[in-house]
Amino acid sequence: MTTVSEASAIKAGDTSIAEDDYFTYVEGVGNIPRDIYRHVESNPLGDLPRYSIHIIIQHFFVFTTFIVLAATGMALHFSDLFWAPYLISFFGGADTARLIHRIAAATMVFGGVYHLITIIGGPLLKIHKGEFDYRRTQIPRIQDVHDLVNDIKYFLGLRDYRPRMEKFMYKQKLHYLAILWGNTVLISAGSSLLFPEITARIYSEAVGFLPESLVKIFSETVANLWPLPAFFQDFARLMHVDEAIMALIVVAFWHLSNVHLVPGRFPLQWTFLTGRITREHQIEEHFLEYIRNLNEIPEEKEYMRKLLEEKGFANKVKVSVEDLPRPN
Amino acid sequence: MEATKKYFTFSIYVAVVFIILIFGFRVEASDKENCLMCHKYRFIGRIDANGKKINYNVDEHMYSKSVHRNVSCRDCHTNIKKLPHDPVTEEVNCANQCHIKPPFAEENFSHKKIIDSYNQSVHGIKSEDAPELKKAKPDCKFCHLNPIYTRVDESRIAYEETLARCKNCHQKEGATQAYKHITHRLRHKTSRSPQEIVLLCSKCHQDAELMKTLNVKDAGLTAVETYKHSIHGKAVALGSQVAADCISCHASNALHDIYKKDHGSATVNKDNLKITCKQCHEKTNDRFVEIAVHSRIDRNEKPLLFFAGFGLKLALFATVFGLMSLLSLETHARKKNGMKWQIKRGSTWRGKSKR
Repeated sequence: MTTVSEASAIKAGDTSIAEDDYFTYVEGVGNIPRDIYRHVESNPLGDLPRYSIHIIIQHFFVFTTFIVLAATGMALHFSDLFWAPYLISFFGGADTARLIHRIAAATMVFGGVYHLITIIGGPLLKIHKGEFDYRRTQIPRIQDVHDLVNDIKYFLGLRDYRPRMEKFMYKQKLHYLAILWGNTVLISAGSSLLFPEITARIYSEAVGFLPESLVKIFSETVANLWPLPAFFQDFARLMHVDEAIMALIVVAFWHLSNVHLVPGRFPLQWTFLTGRITREHQIEEHFLEYIRNLNEIPEEKEYMRKLLEEKGFANKVKVSVEDLPRPN
Repeated sequence: MEATKKYFTFSIYVAVVFIILIFGFRVEASDKENCLMCHKYRFIGRIDANGKKINYNVDEHMYSKSVHRNVSCRDCHTNIKKLPHDPVTEEVNCANQCHIKPPFAEENFSHKKIIDSYNQSVHGIKSEDAPELKKAKPDCKFCHLNPIYTRVDESRIAYEETLARCKNCHQKEGATQAYKHITHRLRHKTSRSPQEIVLLCSKCHQDAELMKTLNVKDAGLTAVETYKHSIHGKAVALGSQVAADCISCHASNALHDIYKKDHGSATVNKDNLKITCKQCHEKTNDRFVEIAVHSRIDRNEKPLLFFAGFGLKLALFATVFGLMSLLSLETHARKKNGMKWQIKRGSTWRGKSKR
């Protein structure tokens, strides 16, 4: 274990050294070692705030409709496999299953609109109050790539500690972006499957609005390669199925394992119900967010100060949270 | 005296019951010329020169419930002139007039009209056809099996209630049979379910070898396969009663007018597609009918879509493989660092780090 010294603390602007730093000094708390998560007490129901009530409701919208959509959609797509008729009869036959699929899709779109309202309105309110910090949002940064590389290095035993990460680490940003992309594709392709008459008209009429020179080029290249509405419909069929299968596999194997099955999360992480995260989890994977929590929640600050005194990490190093590494 | 009278009445009842049981109620079939005298025997038949067994039995009970129950045998089997009759060499001609007058009609009943329409269609035998094509083309009996009446699914039509209203004026028996005759065609164009229609057409059209010998072009060779991959085919395969089957698009309400798509009268001809699609897709338009129904993504025909599909598959495998390796790597490292699986009050870092 490294000894506490001036040299080992974070220095502003010196990111290369800062990555490997063992201690982080927080004003009024002391030097927090990177592996303090080994020593903290945690409540499985969650110690620190993570999601607002809106996010929890939206997650309910998404995951309930997702299960229904996947079950009806996969059964319809893989109609020739042995399990499909059983699943379809559970939903009351092919025609009813198609109706249920559409109702669930509409509900999911409603959840998506609700999410867009909160995800745009919330930050606007924070900007107005002057509290907005883009590092605490899902906006991707270059730092996330460094975090991913360093985390893999840690997993392979090439680094001593996991990188200090923000409220949303690379995994969550990747997943969130995938959902944004997937939803866009599935909703646009799905609506062109549901209203083929309208999409066929829109896409051919849209060509009419283009300037004449563009239309000429367009009709000579793309339209000749494949006539427009027919091409678009075939493409929508392809994309809707492929995105759906990708989403199902990623959610069923990766997302579910990550949140409920891996060490320390089994058998159930309560965050999606309580909106709160355990202390050890926050420190391990969202260290920088934890330091912000220390400054925002006096009880947490007091708890950490006492713990550090107990473990003998109270020495002072002159660095504050404002000096934390920032992207260039 | 009283007891004897009671006993006597009882014996009469028993006798009547036994007489009924012995002589039974005759099944009413239209057999004025008593053909069933011989054909009622279950094993009447012969073995032909090829050793094939042929059964000439006619089941009275089955026939009396069939569509043709009121038609006497010789209305269709017209070449039989004497009894016992000579070996039958001619097939039955469905265009014959039978001795049945439909209600309010002047002429005797005949299938001639529909047979004329059928003979003009792609399935009708033409003089210029090759001999193997002539042989392969289906005749009436290939599809029409003289079916026994089946009731309509009663969840769709309030059968008993509707019939009860008919009986206010009509006599019971006739009304029931007329109603059955009509209602089993009420649902769709065809009395067969969409699933049965697909099965029937696939019988020949799925047979790639047969189709190749009959000079069928590419799109025709894969028609069944591409249909089954379309949403129409998938919904029908799972039991849908509203999704389009073969007949929904390839024939008009005349049902037998199936033509190749470059023929002017074909329902799937470019000029007629709008009317055909409109049966279900009410908002159909000029561009909508360009969408491929029997869509097949082929490397030579639709290269752009083919490679897009290939790219998407590649992306799927790369994503799943990448994420799962990250997950297993992460789990391995965190476990090695002393984390236990189960989340508990206190700490999950209950193990010793082996790093």
